[in-house]
Amino acid sequence: MNILLVLIGIVHVTQGQSYEDARCKCICTVINETQIYKKLYISNVPPNNDCDSIILPPTSGFQINNKTEELCPRCQCKYESRNTTIIKVVVIIVVWVISLLLVYMMFLICLDPLLNNRLRGSNYMEHTNEEVCSLLDDYNGDRHFDESPNHGNSRFSTQMNISTGVSTSATGEGTAVNVLNRVSHHQDKWKRQVREQRKNIYDKHTMLN
Amino acid sequence: MLFKQVGKKNSEDIPGIGQYEDFHTIDWQRDIARDRMRHRYIVKRKQNSILDTIKGAHDAWSGWLCVLLVGLVTGTVAGIIDIGSSWMSDLKFGICPEAFWLNMEQCCWSSNETSFGGEKGNCSQWRMWSEVLGSSRSGIWAYIVSYVFFIIFALSFASLAAGLVRIFAPYACGSGVPEIKTILSGFIIRGYLGKWTLIIKSIGIMLAVSAGLSLGKEGPMVHIACCIGNILSYLFPKYGRNEAKKREILSAAAAAGVSVAFGAPIGGVLFSLEEVSYYFPLKTLWRSFFCALVAAFLLRSINPFGNEHSVLYYVEYNKPWNFFELIPFVGLGIIGGVIATIFIKSNVYWCRVRKTTKLGQYPVMEVLVITAITAVFSFPNPYTRMSSSQLIYLLFSQCGVSSSDGLCDYVYVNNMTAFKTATSAEAGPGVYRAIWLLILALAFKLVTTIFTFGIKIPCGLFIPSLCLGSITGRIVGIGMQQLAFRYPHLWLFNGECDSSDDCITPGLYAMVGAAAVLGGITRMTVSLVVIMFELTGGVRYIVPLMAAAMASKWVGDALGKQGIYDAHIDLNGYPFLDSKEEFSDTGLAADVMQPKRGESLNVLTQDSMTIYEIEALMKNTEHNGFPVVVSQESQYLVGFVLRRDLMLAIANVKRNHDGYDGNSLVTFTVNPPQLPPHSSPPLKLKKILDMAPITITDQTPMETVIDMFRKLGLRQTLVTHNGRLLGVITKKDVLRYIKQLGNEDPNSILFN
Repeated sequence: MNILLVLIGIVHVTQGQSYEDARCKCICTVINETQIYKKLYISNVPPNNDCDSIILPPTSGFQINNKTEELCPRCQCKYESRNTTIIKVVVIIVVWVISLLLVYMMFLICLDPLLNNRLRGSNYMEHTNEEVCSLLDDYNGDRHFDESPNHGNSRFSTQMNISTGVSTSATGEGTAVNVLNRVSHHQDKWKRQVREQRKNIYDKHTMLN
Repeated sequence: MLFKQVGKKNSEDIPGIGQYEDFHTIDWQRDIARDRMRHRYIVKRKQNSILDTIKGAHDAWSGWLCVLLVGLVTGTVAGIIDIGSSWMSDLKFGICPEAFWLNMEQCCWSSNETSFGGEKGNCSQWRMWSEVLGSSRSGIWAYIVSYVFFIIFALSFASLAAGLVRIFAPYACGSGVPEIKTILSGFIIRGYLGKWTLIIKSIGIMLAVSAGLSLGKEGPMVHIACCIGNILSYLFPKYGRNEAKKREILSAAAAAGVSVAFGAPIGGVLFSLEEVSYYFPLKTLWRSFFCALVAAFLLRSINPFGNEHSVLYYVEYNKPWNFFELIPFVGLGIIGGVIATIFIKSNVYWCRVRKTTKLGQYPVMEVLVITAITAVFSFPNPYTRMSSSQLIYLLFSQCGVSSSDGLCDYVYVNNMTAFKTATSAEAGPGVYRAIWLLILALAFKLVTTIFTFGIKIPCGLFIPSLCLGSITGRIVGIGMQQLAFRYPHLWLFNGECDSSDDCITPGLYAMVGAAAVLGGITRMTVSLVVIMFELTGGVRYIVPLMAAAMASKWVGDALGKQGIYDAHIDLNGYPFLDSKEEFSDTGLAADVMQPKRGESLNVLTQDSMTIYEIEALMKNTEHNGFPVVVSQESQYLVGFVLRRDLMLAIANVKRNHDGYDGNSLVTFTVNPPQLPPHSSPPLKLKKILDMAPITITDQTPMETVIDMFRKLGLRQTLVTHNGRLLGVITKKDVLRYIKQLGNEDPNSILFN
């Protein structure tokens, strides 16, 4: 949270003068004796937003025969706008999302196996009777239908159902445990789905080759 | 009609009816009939109360509301991806220290030091990494520092993308278009359009594009839009709970995806119609139109590139083309077709190698190796160092008077009277150098794209193929220009190049070439031309683009029979029944149907089987549905019941109702038979029975059967002989049969 505040602070401080949201972009054709070329001017937008009315300095500094010639360029000016606020917000959001995902990925890779190893042992019932499982899961999936668009057919959801039973029997514990349980069930279910996907793609190579 | 007796209340009795399992095909007819029932129910209730009237109205407009939301969200996500990826791409080169969120171009946006057209980031606000580290902008040391930073950033972006895909959503890899095609044709892949896939694909494609790999974000954008469509359709049960109806929303979402990817709304609608959609009624066309419009509007108002357009490589063209130029345009089409065939063949070969050999066991390593090779070899060449879309923009655009790139190094003539043309068409040394670099870039891009498309990160194909095409086109264009300059009186030019110096615009050739290669690879025609024409805003180039697209399609079809997406569908064995193919053989339904001769057909009887018997039958067989007959002896057909529905119904009864045991009769009739008084009541399952299954006779030719499967979207059809049930043909049987016709392995189909 603190980092976010600091970030916002930096954003406010660094909102410098040079990053306006509008400009007049003038493409000028300069003709001197031997050359025709174009030059680009960028200037601030006058208060009336009319880029045609701005006065550009005459081009100078073209050294021909050791004397500087002043030229009047013909210019065409165009009003252009952008929105730096959107850019800022989007980039900051993207950086945040990526760092969150990175942290969560690190957690899943490093810490989760350790935690799981401790918990495992009591309840693993992965390959049980498939038909019953998928039935129960379908029933369950339908109940949670609106919450989880991509509810899988993960056939191994007996584990989930059993543990739901446990948690509902212990209602006296309060809602906090319930919520925590539900979150961890959702996470377990999602992990199982991802494991299934990984098996399809990285091991069996049946899809997305 | 199906389920005539099934009111809304009844079908909700048993949870899960009407859903499908993973990797199953949907039954379009059944789903559409289900929706019709639901609709009729709502209409009937409309008069009852005000609440019901409101419900009816909500039901009527929910389709439009849903595509509106899909369009809005798609436009927003596309804007985020565009801004994010352009920022991260420039992070490889340097940073804008005062406002780190600005990319190179935006950093120098209001600086007067900005040079015209040429090198970007030439202002004092933008710091190259070499400058940040304290050395100068140019020089050998700065070059080495930039090189190292370029490689480090590319590798870290790519490894992050590969890691995210592997840990969170493996389904997010690849382009997604073959899978979307398969899903829209009526296949279920659970989780493929879920929220994790959406998040990881969006983030992953930003990282992958920024890593400088030879891939684009356009194909993944279609997948992303479809994820959004799928997720939002759950807000409206009419679509969320009906797979056939949901595909209408997905078609519209695919259109929105292309619409934001290219800033081409009409092209998006046509892409959805021509390339991805399977079932595309007029109602869907209008919804797609609206969805594409909303998405394009939103992206345009976000203005991600600051150029008032929704793509980076938008160019405005207004130069006329001459009639004789059709010959080089068709030539470009032929070259495009050849390049496309080389690409498709080698890419599919490489993907097969990846699928079958040990290479497939190192997906993350593969990504890293390819990124390292790409980064190391792309940095020295300025045309490969810049991002692909910037290269496309450079090649598409005309040479202005003071374009500083080598491509525009034409010999300068002193011509005071004509202000417009200060340069001649004669190429200077810079142009020749640029051509050599472009040829190297072409070879490099072709090779890397072959190896890149299919690695396990999100990767699209449109940008690399546009890039290949525009390089070819530009080279041919410069060649033609020089030819016209040297020999203006050649018969080829028809006297049209006598007067003006620049009767040939190489940028236009780049555009036509891009269309040709893309057309050859994807085999799109109409949608491609419309997309290209919306990209350039010039109606007058429709004919050249059409000529090139057509030529490249012909050459491509002659050299290899499939476009890249169909080739990948085949490679993966997705159950996709292509509506383009034609068959002419003499097979009959009797030869294809299950069971084969000598085996017996597993059927249910309408009123003489117990729950035990049915459960035993389901345990012993793996069929996804069972025909119901009058009796085992007569085999007269009553209807068809799905295994899943049957299982759900029995489980539901066991759970919720007492009084049934394994010996209870299961009946599918209206009037159950008379039972002895002491036995348990019969289980009535008439409501899950499909009373109107599609039937054919055993003498029906297979062409007709395939046509029925394609046009009606069947899942299975029952085969009868003299009115008696003989067997079943499922979609899997049809797909196997087609594979057999093509002398391919029929067991390669991914299917349950």
